[in-house]
Amino acid sequence: MSIVELENVNFQYKGSKDGSLNNINLNIEKGQTVLLCGASGSGKTSIIRLINGLIPHYYSGELEGNITVAGHDVRKTELHELAGTVGTVFQNPRSQFFSVDTDGEIAFGPENIGLEPKEIKARLNDVVAEMDLDDLLGRSIFDLSGGQKQRIACASVAALLPDIILLDEPSSNLDFDSIELLRGTILEWKRQGKTIIISEHRLWYLKDAVDRVIYMENGVMAKEWTGEEFKGLNEEEVKSYKLRPIVLEEELIRDIRGESTSSFCDVESNIELKDFFFSYKTRPYLLFKKKFKESDGELLNLNIPYLKIPKGKVIGLVGPNGTGKSTFLRCLCGLEGDCKGAIVSDGKIYKARQRLKICYLVMQDVNHQLFTDSVKSEVMLSMKDEDEKRCDEILESLGLLEYKDTHPMALSGGQKQRVAIASAIASGAEILLFDEPTSGLDYSHMEKVGELLNELASTGASVIVSTHDPELISECCDYVLGIKHGKAVYLKENKKL
Amino acid sequence: MKLDPRTKLFMVFVVSLIVMMSATTPFLWAIRLSITLIPIILMILEKKYSSALKFLLAYASALVLMFYFLSEQSEGLIASLLIGYCGIVVQFMPAIITAWYVVRTTKIGEFMSCMQKMHVPDGIAVSLAVVMRFFPTIKEEYSSINDAMRMRGVMLGGGNVLRMFEFRMIPLLFSCVNIGEELSAAAITRGLGGDVKRSSVIELKLGIADYLIMTFLAVATVIFVVFKYFL
Repeated sequence: MSIVELENVNFQYKGSKDGSLNNINLNIEKGQTVLLCGASGSGKTSIIRLINGLIPHYYSGELEGNITVAGHDVRKTELHELAGTVGTVFQNPRSQFFSVDTDGEIAFGPENIGLEPKEIKARLNDVVAEMDLDDLLGRSIFDLSGGQKQRIACASVAALLPDIILLDEPSSNLDFDSIELLRGTILEWKRQGKTIIISEHRLWYLKDAVDRVIYMENGVMAKEWTGEEFKGLNEEEVKSYKLRPIVLEEELIRDIRGESTSSFCDVESNIELKDFFFSYKTRPYLLFKKKFKESDGELLNLNIPYLKIPKGKVIGLVGPNGTGKSTFLRCLCGLEGDCKGAIVSDGKIYKARQRLKICYLVMQDVNHQLFTDSVKSEVMLSMKDEDEKRCDEILESLGLLEYKDTHPMALSGGQKQRVAIASAIASGAEILLFDEPTSGLDYSHMEKVGELLNELASTGASVIVSTHDPELISECCDYVLGIKHGKAVYLKENKKL
Repeated sequence: MKLDPRTKLFMVFVVSLIVMMSATTPFLWAIRLSITLIPIILMILEKKYSSALKFLLAYASALVLMFYFLSEQSEGLIASLLIGYCGIVVQFMPAIITAWYVVRTTKIGEFMSCMQKMHVPDGIAVSLAVVMRFFPTIKEEYSSINDAMRMRGVMLGGGNVLRMFEFRMIPLLFSCVNIGEELSAAAITRGLGGDVKRSSVIELKLGIADYLIMTFLAVATVIFVVFKYFL
């Protein structure tokens, strides 16, 4: 019996061609697990939104065709009526929470549909036991890591006991181990007989879970595989569809989890880092701050007394979430003023505030980093002496010249990221740091970021990029630097593709 | 100690009321100070020591400055700035302290449950809850934007006050609008906004502490008003 039926569906968002759908015919049987893959903007998310009713009730546009979900005609059904039937886990853990505390969040859905408090408590207990969430109860959402947030998001959807569960790029902000947990949750739902539809770029963790795989291209269902066929695709075929790999090399997995057994390899031309210590915990003294030493051990969130890193290369920074990658980047570039470390490059020593001058961090959410009203002034803002010719050169090299006078917020995500990189180059920084630049990107965008990082390194800049994407590492990293519990644990050379 | 959100709301109301009426005699000041001390003591009971200490210090120093070092005859730029500053702190700080205490110690679920008990329409309750939910988000976003500005060396907007403001507000507005949009999409897919009456998993009950505090606040307000306007 079909539980989801899309019949001759055409859709176009108001004022945008991106993500529009063309003649979609899709029947999903009860209990099936379906994966939607394909490039960004190919219509994966739009299909998810058709099924949960956000199209046409929340995102408006031109819609034709019939959509039936568990017997409801979605076009004529109010969104809240679908709440007990369809549940959705969204991509961004930051913006899908209504409550500030974890318990309240799980209870939120059942409260909305007016269940008795007793029943809600029973469901809460069931979900917590099923998903092993005891340690996350009673915490503030704002103190959780991305992976923990996503587990709470799954729980709060499950508490409504929907028959159909939709996941829209759920692994985008997760590290390897959190993705494993997410996979466990999906398998448990599958075992319970729920119908699951997942839109995703990362494919390796789903290959054993899915029954059907639908490949989207420009708003059309261009190809369909069964789960078995999909598993059998070889590397070349996967690449030709511009998809991320289905199988990961064991060695890369070890690298990405920070569990490689390598030690530190020798590097010829290098940058030295000295005395990088930092702790987020409250300082022991009231008026002046304690100076940290290596012997403070456990107290430290970053503990790197000395490290040599190669110059003019792309270095992948890996390790599980919450073990110090971001802290390392923030300390390195001087954003954490309490970290007193020094960078030695070409015999010059850069301390404290001077580090801000030779380093530039491109943040994960580039929206925070763009301030002005045109791409050109964004780049000029970074220059000590405004030089229009140099600005044009930089924009040209990044393919942004035609957008010179466009407002940065009007650009696509990838373009914004390039504007941020353009400002980084304009600032004259020799050490460029990237905080997870490819999370949530499809294969071809990730490839482009990889190429760009390589180009930056070839102009002499040292590039350090923190990432959970094994694909990016094999794409562009010359070296891999592992961080665990705030310590640098290995630096090894990496074979690029 | 856990207070009922209704007591907290009543506290906000009473403190705001007293803040709006100026204290003119030492007796009225005494009432005002004792009312200000309540949220500070509650904060200490909730183990928020550093915030309690900060508020206490800020308020006490403004009071001391105001009464011992400044008078109506004070002259000069610094004195007049201080009078303005201390005046505002002494007058309005009690309300800020109370609001801070209430926002920090009330869970969204408790707040919603409290609104239901008071028969406030869901529409109003949900909007207020979203406002509460947004404070920490704004704080998080603001601090990332501040980091980005430090990174680019534009903390002072190139010496231009307007740009200093613009560089902070524009990205903040953009990200808050985006988060707000995604947040409401996520909330309505989980059934918010239906015609069913919302239920609440948190059952509220007024305890002895609630009655004590409410009685104290009510009595204090009555005495304050009587002594100020009728005697």
